[in-house]
Amino acid sequence: MDLYVAAFGFGLVGMSVIAIAAVGFTMQFGITNMINLAYGEVMISSAYVAYYLNKAGITIWVGMIAGAVFGAVFSFLLNRVVYAPFLRRGTSHIGMVIVSLAVSLMVANLLLPIVGYYSVSYQDTTGGLIRAGGIVLTTNQIAIIGVAVVLMLLIHGLLRYTRLGKAMRATAANPTLARNCGIPTGRVIDAVWLITGALCGLAGVVAAMNSDSFAIANGAGFLITALAAAVLGGAGQPYGAMIGAVIIGMVTELSAAAWSPEYKEVVAFGILVLVMVLRPQGLLAKRGALAAAG
Amino acid sequence: MSDSLTRVEARPAPSLQALDITSGYGGVPVIRDVSISVGPREVVAIIGPNGAGKSTLLKSLVGILRLDAGRILLGADDVTGRSPEELARRGVGYVPQVNDIFEPLTVLENLEMGGYLLNARQVKERVGEVGAVFPQLPPMLARRADKLSGGERKMLAIARVLMLDPDILILDEPTANLSPKLADSLLREQVRRLAGLGKAVVLVEQRARAALQIADWTSVLVSGSVRLEGRPKELLDRQDFEELFLGAGTELAASDNSKLEEA
Repeated sequence: MDLYVAAFGFGLVGMSVIAIAAVGFTMQFGITNMINLAYGEVMISSAYVAYYLNKAGITIWVGMIAGAVFGAVFSFLLNRVVYAPFLRRGTSHIGMVIVSLAVSLMVANLLLPIVGYYSVSYQDTTGGLIRAGGIVLTTNQIAIIGVAVVLMLLIHGLLRYTRLGKAMRATAANPTLARNCGIPTGRVIDAVWLITGALCGLAGVVAAMNSDSFAIANGAGFLITALAAAVLGGAGQPYGAMIGAVIIGMVTELSAAAWSPEYKEVVAFGILVLVMVLRPQGLLAKRGALAAAG
Repeated sequence: MSDSLTRVEARPAPSLQALDITSGYGGVPVIRDVSISVGPREVVAIIGPNGAGKSTLLKSLVGILRLDAGRILLGADDVTGRSPEELARRGVGYVPQVNDIFEPLTVLENLEMGGYLLNARQVKERVGEVGAVFPQLPPMLARRADKLSGGERKMLAIARVLMLDPDILILDEPTANLSPKLADSLLREQVRRLAGLGKAVVLVEQRARAALQIADWTSVLVSGSVRLEGRPKELLDRQDFEELFLGAGTELAASDNSKLEEA
């Protein structure tokens, strides 16, 4: 039983990491209509930014902020320099997916000679141990949970209560009508890439913190997990992505305790496949992206 | 309606003019050399058969479609090629035929987005004012817009565009999907009243006869060109009008038949 309680604790951390990544990914898709397969590579690039700062003696918490800023700028430029010009020329949806896949491969291969193929890890990522009941977590893992909760509340507040957030939802629902209302949709989309890019970068750093070590090859795994949570919750739905993250994060850890850690991902994707068979639109999907919750 | 018969003959100075505009999709023109104008307190109805290019004309007027040729003037200013955002800032309001609201947003959020260019205090004031024009709306502000009935939805779409108090209103078939009774009251009461408040209204309508009854000026669009224009009374008095119109494939007679319309 203790094993399951401990796994529950790890599940809390895992779902926090996945939630940050999946919410960023799903918002990119929901508002800009872009399935950005380079998301995982932006995550891992940001993790390396934090790594080099950390290696230079800077605390990982500053590295986390640097990773978020890097992710924001990288994603913003990725859209402005690569995606937006293709979209302006009327590239099809599937064409854009291929473009983002190409970007993903290019980033991974450009990064390889810079960071090397071997695994690295952050210096001060453990912190002290904290026990509560059977749950044993490091202070840093608890901080990751805290960061995720704060970010989810901020995203909720942004989308529900701010002018920018409502303009994002309006742009997602009906971009032409948004422009007819005088909403500068170009600037709204820039803001979306900056905000989701920051989530992506931050997610990369916390994902790296939560692994013993990471390497360039982990980018693909980051993408797949974020994608799975986003699709499970209903693509384009931030609240759905949060629920998807909770399910995938928890199930993978509990199954690791019950069965074997090696089958973690098999179980997660088994659940994804099952949900897709029973409810192909995802758990929360409704008409129109970024629907109001509840 | 005798109203249109007794109105003075001179048309107002135009607030919006399209001069010989040609536009379409992907380089294929749908409308060719079309000129229309509308002034304050005036309702200009654009009628014509399906596929004549009525919606294309409106989309060109509000900046959604780029012109292949021609000019668009707002007062004396040339606004050809300006974005929909800029035209909205300059007082052009547009209600599309479909996708006319933000479905996943609440009614209040729809109105807030309609007033995006206003500050928070102004938005609050305008929501109150627009709510007074459409008393059905205030009790349902918290409801999701995709839960509204057809009539409520169109009210919201028009209320949304009124948030910015535009000088020029471009309405694409506002009565589509409404019952004949609701359609009639929308045209006679709301649209006519908005013109009465000093707005310039361009109206595309399938219900040709109903549109002719409230319009000050009518253009008949056939196959992408203005085939006929004039005051509704003059058009109706022309012996060949219905023939021309019916010859063009429009169901002028049928549009008066509510049973057919509902089908």
